[in-house]
Formats: sequence, C-alpha cells, structure tokens
Amino acid sequence: MNEQQFEQLQIDVHDARRPLNRITMQAELIKMALQGEIPAEKALQALDKVIAECKSCSESLSSLVDKFRPGTEETTE
Amino acid sequence: MLTVLLVDDDTEFLDVACTIIEFLGHEVLTATNLEEAKDWLQKETFDHILLDFMLPDGSGLHLLESLPDGSPTHVTLITGHPSVKGIIKDLCGPKVDYLVKPIQREDIEQALSQKNKPRTASASKKPAFTKHFGHLIGESACMQELYKLVGRVSKTQANVMLLGESGVGKEVVAAAIHAASECDGPYVATNCGAFSKELIGSELFGHEKGAFTGAVGKKEGVFEQAENGTLFLDEITEMPIDMQPNLLRVLENKVVIRVGGTKTIPVNCRVVSATNRAMEEIAESKVLREDIYFRLAVFPITIPPLRERKEDIPMLAEFFIQQLNDENGTQYQWQSGQLEQLCSYDWPGNVRELRHFVHRAAIMSDPESRELELPKTIESPFAKKQNLSSGLKAGRTIEEVEKELIYATLEKVDGNKTTAAEMLGISTKTLYNRLHAYGDLSDND
Repeated sequence: MNEQQFEQLQIDVHDARRPLNRITMQAELIKMALQGEIPAEKALQALDKVIAECKSCSESLSSLVDKFRPGTEETTE
Repeated sequence: MLTVLLVDDDTEFLDVACTIIEFLGHEVLTATNLEEAKDWLQKETFDHILLDFMLPDGSGLHLLESLPDGSPTHVTLITGHPSVKGIIKDLCGPKVDYLVKPIQREDIEQALSQKNKPRTASASKKPAFTKHFGHLIGESACMQELYKLVGRVSKTQANVMLLGESGVGKEVVAAAIHAASECDGPYVATNCGAFSKELIGSELFGHEKGAFTGAVGKKEGVFEQAENGTLFLDEITEMPIDMQPNLLRVLENKVVIRVGGTKTIPVNCRVVSATNRAMEEIAESKVLREDIYFRLAVFPITIPPLRERKEDIPMLAEFFIQQLNDENGTQYQWQSGQLEQLCSYDWPGNVRELRHFVHRAAIMSDPESRELELPKTIESPFAKKQNLSSGLKAGRTIEEVEKELIYATLEKVDGNKTTAAEMLGISTKTLYNRLHAYGDLSDND
C-alpha cells in the first residue's frame, strides 16, 4: 500500500467510525430510557437509528473493501 | 448548572449528545462548524466547550485561539483519531483535555464535572508532575531544553558550570546531573562562599593532623569525599581569588594534597559548579580566573528564571503543597484561581521564593481545612532590589544605564567621588571623565 492509499484508508476509516460514534450515543440514550430517566418512546426511536447506523456502517465497510480490491481500478500494471 | 457549547459537524451526534447533556442538568448550545462556534463565543460565555477536532471549516484548535487569554472556559477536544491524542496533549494547557470517539455518557459527565472539582483532586492519586532525573519539575520549552543538556552531559565526564539567578534551583540541577550520571560515588555539595579564606583549603582538599591550630585530627576534603561521584561547588565565584590556583591544580592534575600534608592523593569526580552571576559579569569582574573558568565550565548550563517558564508554576506549586501535606499530614489543595494568582506574579526570587510562599501560606491556613489562605498580594522584601533592575528595559543604551548608575551611586555616598568610584569599581579619574562628558562637572570640582 502506498502513502496515498494509506491516507485514503485513514479518511475512510474515520468516516466509518462516525456511525459507531452515533450508535454509542444512541445506546446511552436507550440506557437512560430503560432507567426511566427519559420517556420510553425515545428508546424506540434511538433503536431505529441504531439499526440505520449499523447498516450505514456495514455499507461503508463494504465500499472500503471494494476500493482496495486489487484489479478493480482502471490503473494498468 | 454549566453553560456548555457543543461543536461537532455531525448533527445526529449533536442531537443525542444535547439530550444527554441537558439531562445531566446543563444548558447546551450547539454549533456545527468553526464559524458558528466563534459567533457563540462572541455572544455568550461558556463554562465548558466540547469541541470536535476536525470541523468542515478547519481544525477545532482554531477555536482555542478565539478564547480570550486567561478565560476560565474549560475545553474538551473530541477526536475520532486516537493518534491525535498525543498531539493535543502537547499543544494544550491545563484547561484543555480530550476524549476519543466513540464517547460515552460517562465520558461527558466526567469531562463536565472536572470544571467543578479542583483540578488537584485527581492529583492525590497520580502526581500532576513528572520529576525529570528524579529532581526537576517543569514541562516548559526551556526546561525541555535543559533536560536535553543534562541528559547529554551526564553521559560524559565533563565539568559543568550552572549559571542562573538566585533561587532558580542550581543545586537541584546539580543533583539531577548526579542522578543522571549513574555513577558509583556519592554526591557531595559545598558552598565556596561559606568558608573563610583560611578554612576553604581544608574544606576542599582536607588537612593532616596538626596542620593548623585546631586541626586535631586529619580530615578528608570534599574532593576526596566525592570520589567517583559528583562534587557540587556552589557560589564558585565567591571563592577567594588567591585560593583559585590551588583549585586549578587539582582540576588539572586530578590529585589533591591535604593542607599540611605532602602526599598526593588521586581524585576522580565530576565537578559541578554554580554561580548566580552572569557569564559576562564573571569575565569582567575577575571574580574567577580565566583558566579556572575554562576548567569548570567545560559545559556551561544556564537555568532559566521562573518568570520565563510561568507555565511550570502550577506544577511546582502542586509539588510543594504535596510535600508539605506529606510532612504535616494536611490536605491542602490549590484552587484554580489561586494558581492563576501565582502565575501572574514575577517571582524575582524564583523557585525558592515560590516554595517559601507556599510554605508560608500552608502555615497561615487552617490545618483542618483543605483550602489554602493566600495573602492578597505576593510581596517579597527583596522585590525592591528587583524593581531597580527591572528598570533595565531592553532598548536603553549602555551609556544611559551607566549614567543612571553613576548618579545613583553618587547620591548614595553624598557626592563623595572617591567613594563612589570605589563602589563602582572604576578609577576616580574615569569617574571624573564620565561626569565631565555628562557636562556635569563644575571647575571647582
């Protein structure tokens, strides 16, 4: 992997981490809802968002793999 | 309740984090980029800013620059990248910390509660300072430079001369050099200014029984005591000039002859000497022979005064109070406002004055309380002397300063030119010439 590719990988991983960050926060919200600190329906909304974020994270990881799959780029060797 | 500014370009994160922080009982305002955040800073004062490191219009660090100097706002940088952590740590002062994404509610809670706690609360568990080489405290740039020098010279056998104002900690640096050298011998310290002309020879080189009246037994000198170790000669420039040839001989030949003795005794130690005079002054005032200077100052190290490393004051204050707490079984803790008060003073007496001040404050305070009582103003009886020299501002010519000094001296001795010349260390003729040049000499003078 050359330097340019590594830089790209870093950016992609940073983007992939974003949904994880959101999920963590949503999970905290759900904990609060279960403890009765905030209304229970908030937990339901939060869980929906967690599912959505998990999908998005999975997608970005798949595209990451595609990006680094040898031979898919137009570059000739 | 705190007023918190939350800056992050991820709106969904903002949303959830807001809910959590509001639930924790704080007021939250949000911004999604630097520009918005800067706007908020103009309108509001915040107790705490939670700041994303990477924002669409630049690094979150730029926001720190918009904070007024000495602002009480506490900043927590949030970074998605663990490696950024190290960089931030180096960049930021005591009011800034960081969290690594993904963050949890506990992280936020902890970050926000830090503002209310005195910063030293956590320090009781782990010290808030590192002792470099087992002795030196401070993380400022000039101290880092000093650590580098100490590290380098300790690997060699070179003699070191420490230069620095009174109270900067020359003896502490000497002990640090000894510790870093990992030599087998002991660390022996002596003060060359503390002995009379007659006794300094015996102190340095030892004496044989009956060498002089009162020499009832034989005695090892400090050179012998410090065999394979480090000999610290404090106030080297106060050593009588006629004793210096003897010292030179020891430094050159690495042997001592005890006073009243004939036998040469080989010695092997690193000599660390110290003076509070400036290098130029040493050269000019002839308090130290040139040949001795070059023997002693193979590696000169200048220790910065405390006012040039004010960022180290909280750490030093913390160290001194912990030391006093340990000695006296007290629980004193600094309040952040107090540390700021300490930082705003110039400390003409340097670290020694700071230590004295902390000690005095600890005595003045109620031992049952955790709070230290500080006097409203920090004053030292020696500060006056410093005022005089702080009148020496850069940009004045030597002539101007010289003229002022001459007149100040004349005033002090009621115009007696012979005495004034003596005090100034110049000949009467020179003094007359100067006064003549100032056009201030009437013919009958």
